[in-house]
Amino acid sequence: MKKEKTAVKLKQELIVFLVVIALLTFFCLASENFRQYTTILTIMDYSYYIVLMAIGVSFPLITGGVDLSIGTGLVCYSLAGGYLILHCGWPVGLAMVVTVLFGTIIGVINGVLIGVMDLPPFLATLCTCMITRGLGSICSQNTGISWPTAGQPGSWFRSIFKLDIGGTKIPLGFIWVLLLAIMMHFVLRHTKVGRYIIAIGSNKEAAILSGINVKFYHIMAYTISGLFAALAAIAYSAVFKTVLPGTGAGFELEAIGGAIIGGVSATGGAGSIIGTFVGVFVICLLKTGLPFIGLQANWQQIVTGFVLIGSVMVDIIKKRREKK
Amino acid sequence: MGEVILQMKDIDKSFPGVHALDHVSFSVEKGEVHALMGENGAGKSTLMKVLTGIYTKDSGTITYEGKEVEFHNAREAQAAGVVIVHQELNMVGHLNVAQNIFIGREFKKGIKIDDKKMIEESRKLFEKLNIDIDPTATMSDLTVGKQQMCEIAKAISHDAKVIIFDEPTAALTEAEIQDLFKIIRDLREQQLGIVYISHRMDEIKVITDRVTVMRDGCYVGTLITKDCTKDDIVNMMVGRVIYEEPKTKSMVSEDAPVVLKVEHLNAGKMVQDVSFELHKGEILGFSGLMGAGRTETARAIFGADPKESGDIYVNGEKVVINSPEDAVKAGIGYLSEDRKRFGIVVQKTIAENTTMANLSEFMKGIFINKKKEKKIAKELADSLATKMPSVDELVVNLSGGNQQKVVIAKWLCKNCDILIFDEPTRGIDVGAKNEIYKLMNKLASEGKSIIMISSEMTEILRMSDRIVVMCEGKKTGELRIEETTQEKIMNFATRDVG
Amino acid sequence: MILKKIKENPIVKKLGFNRIVLTGVLILMYVILSCLVNNFAGMPRVMSALNYAYFLGFLSLGVTFVIATGGIDFSIGPVMFCCALISGYSLTSHGVPMGLSLIISIVVGVIFGAFNGYLVAYQKVPPFIVSMASMNIAKGVASVFTKTQSVSWPQAAKGGWFRYFVKVGKVPVGIIVFFAVAIACSILLNHTKAGRYMLSLGSNREAVRLSGVDVKKWEMLAYVICGLLVGIAAIYFVGAYTTVQPGYGDQYNNEAIAGCVMGGTSMAGGLASIGGTVIGVFIIALLQEGILALGFTKDYQLIITGIIVICAVYADVMARRRRN
Repeated sequence: MKKEKTAVKLKQELIVFLVVIALLTFFCLASENFRQYTTILTIMDYSYYIVLMAIGVSFPLITGGVDLSIGTGLVCYSLAGGYLILHCGWPVGLAMVVTVLFGTIIGVINGVLIGVMDLPPFLATLCTCMITRGLGSICSQNTGISWPTAGQPGSWFRSIFKLDIGGTKIPLGFIWVLLLAIMMHFVLRHTKVGRYIIAIGSNKEAAILSGINVKFYHIMAYTISGLFAALAAIAYSAVFKTVLPGTGAGFELEAIGGAIIGGVSATGGAGSIIGTFVGVFVICLLKTGLPFIGLQANWQQIVTGFVLIGSVMVDIIKKRREKK
Repeated sequence: MGEVILQMKDIDKSFPGVHALDHVSFSVEKGEVHALMGENGAGKSTLMKVLTGIYTKDSGTITYEGKEVEFHNAREAQAAGVVIVHQELNMVGHLNVAQNIFIGREFKKGIKIDDKKMIEESRKLFEKLNIDIDPTATMSDLTVGKQQMCEIAKAISHDAKVIIFDEPTAALTEAEIQDLFKIIRDLREQQLGIVYISHRMDEIKVITDRVTVMRDGCYVGTLITKDCTKDDIVNMMVGRVIYEEPKTKSMVSEDAPVVLKVEHLNAGKMVQDVSFELHKGEILGFSGLMGAGRTETARAIFGADPKESGDIYVNGEKVVINSPEDAVKAGIGYLSEDRKRFGIVVQKTIAENTTMANLSEFMKGIFINKKKEKKIAKELADSLATKMPSVDELVVNLSGGNQQKVVIAKWLCKNCDILIFDEPTRGIDVGAKNEIYKLMNKLASEGKSIIMISSEMTEILRMSDRIVVMCEGKKTGELRIEETTQEKIMNFATRDVG
Repeated sequence: MILKKIKENPIVKKLGFNRIVLTGVLILMYVILSCLVNNFAGMPRVMSALNYAYFLGFLSLGVTFVIATGGIDFSIGPVMFCCALISGYSLTSHGVPMGLSLIISIVVGVIFGAFNGYLVAYQKVPPFIVSMASMNIAKGVASVFTKTQSVSWPQAAKGGWFRYFVKVGKVPVGIIVFFAVAIACSILLNHTKAGRYMLSLGSNREAVRLSGVDVKKWEMLAYVICGLLVGIAAIYFVGAYTTVQPGYGDQYNNEAIAGCVMGGTSMAGGLASIGGTVIGVFIIALLQEGILALGFTKDYQLIITGIIVICAVYADVMARRRRN
């Protein structure tokens, strides 16, 4: 009985993993240019910030809410950090700390709006989405900002994600991102925070009756989301040369899409971070792979949209069947 | 006789318009199973809610373990060892059994929740209780019976000394009931005090030591179970003087045309093979205890919930009803027991609610003819004597009785010939009740046919021409009013079904 | 006490206390801005604010219907751009006649509305997921269709006769059209079966269903109407600003929702006021003009709108709590 259960649980993540393998195989067969080491590097580059956002946003999703502010938030935090380095001469390390703090604060604000003030999650975070977008543009004075690039002082932080050894680039970031995913998987599964966040999403009434401080754990969920959006901002700044104000809208779709593909329920209560981690690679592969078979970047937006609706529908149909 | 662990004395509680508990006394001893019986609305649940602090009492004393106590909420009661196992289960479906049992008071090892220890403790708990459940199973995968066992285990793990079971067997299978009884007997062995609320007479005989009967908010008496018969209990439950004259003779001749015929209706566990006929101008009472499947039957007929099988004939013609839309087209109207949720749109006006089901009749081209709408709504409201400032008033501002009249007006406006009244007078004060009764009689005399679901015996006896009795999803009896007695109905309603 | 008396006054009741206050705010804003900024009261500024009010107004009217049913649609901004781009590209690059192009714009809007409405009403996909997906699909489709080029619509003298819908000479014809459409919407919402059912199902869906009403149909219709108005909004957008670029449009979501919730439409559904929406839209349009006139960038507008929405929705949450 016990073994059966774990088998079923693994299945969801396993299926997604097989989808990733299948996509990889498909693109390799379809395009010669895809079968190169640089492609792996590209996929990795795209995956870091999406994975980090997706890990974070999984928590609000599991409470039955959503965080739409992570995309523009990412750009905003990155611009703020970059501004401190370029225009105020701050050391990169300190700027990174401030970036993370900034994201966490926005997360707390989201949590208060939703958990304490009872605003609908999508609306509250849509507002903070716009607010962070405005803030980002204002503090960067509407120009693109580059964190220190190779050769400049402070460029060490780029090698956190991509180590250059004698011309060979090693996607070191994958390890960090994987470690963070495992850590947050642990938080969700084995700590009070995770346990109560699941309880809120599954049966809020029961959670309240069990004496759980629902407001506090709501805030925690959004704080985690904000924190990881800020970590994603650092990854984004490290991987890409320049960050442009006014961008970032649409990132949240990729992250939320990845989480839902990985088994996080759009109606809350269920999900796993490892699942999210694997799910994001479906999105990343589509993003990097589609151009190789002649579909330009914009097709990927369309495909992602349909993939998101498709995976939610699968979830809904599954639930409908269970009811019967 | 054991030592008294819990003593409630002279408990009095009133709600606006209702004297819910009239100086009720009740006590539980260590190592006994004490049944609390009574019809719906007799005050059993209110008494238990007063005990566990969900309601505050107006007067009286509660003595627990020799000390006078007053709990302010369910958590306080729980902490002291008085635990209620609810009808509706409070479980987090996505978590596993052990995680549910210890939710809110997890064991920790550093920052990590010690799931292993929780599973271990749960396993020990289950062993102690002789329950066969895997603590690592996901809660939503368990049957309702198993979930209830978990709820009981959770109660015990709070170090409970008094456990209240509120209709514990309502959703259980026969085998699960036997398991439950085994657990209850074990708990009795361990000198816990157990309060057992149930409608099922056969269970009472099997599991309980004493029976206390309540009626209309009053204490009636306490019997030793093994010394009394089922009839003794039934007599205590129904032995009230009926002030309103019961109907003695059906107003409808037996050969009146059949307007609605339901054959072999099945919809889940609560509606099993239900068949009946409704004659023109008749009020057909649906009696039974809570959870007998009457509302479910009505909703299945009306198309509000899906049904598995069964045929419905309206005026002799077979009709297919898959949605409320189909039912309304066939001339059936349904007045839900829960008006606020299913009957009215509270933020809309009386006129708007009145025409909700029949808006097409009020169209002038593509526009709603509001003048006509208001006129008809006013006419209907006047004929029903709805008390209101104007038809432009929001329904939220009306009293329960008047809200009910708005719902009636909605179906009269649609000109439905078959009306299903589900608990038509629930939450309505006495004066308004009589008005609703008069109204129903008037409708019936005008040729409308009415199905009236009611848990109030007086209401059934006063209004019905014929009575269908249900028990556990099955139709167990059908009586003409001339041959009906309270005892007969109660016997059908508590029939020992398989 | 006095406040209560004013609220009880029959004339005030008829016009709506909320709307009177909003009108006051609008006038006050105008007066203050006129004092602060030279020539603010002059025609050019007013015309510019009106141009902004037109397209935003249509968006806001559209989303009012959706919110009335208790749903949400924040794909409207990008969908508007998609309408403008597809029809504009057909006009400029495929030689489609002007009249047909305008129809194409509206048809595209309706298709998106029907798509969203079907998924929400019939498939029970959460509205925020649908919005997020179709926002990206709209951006993607527009980019693919136009090959990621911006589209400029012709000037009035060069066959761009559609601009006469916006203004003829110095006469702002647009305002007449806008008011006509707003009145039509008000009639639709308050005097037809469709509106009655949309509002009722937003308030108590189950009670309406049990009255024998096909709730799914009417819920979907709200999204279709929204799509139709978004198609019209697109025409007014290019009528005022000529050029559209693929990949944008997000910021108008929030402004449209702001106009709507400020005007007294409840996010919980069941309560909507077209008159309130119209005044709300003018406030947002004037705010945008004022912010630019005061020398601030558009980014401040994003932040202020975000805060306005949060406050308006919180006021609604509080009002509902008090009622219960």
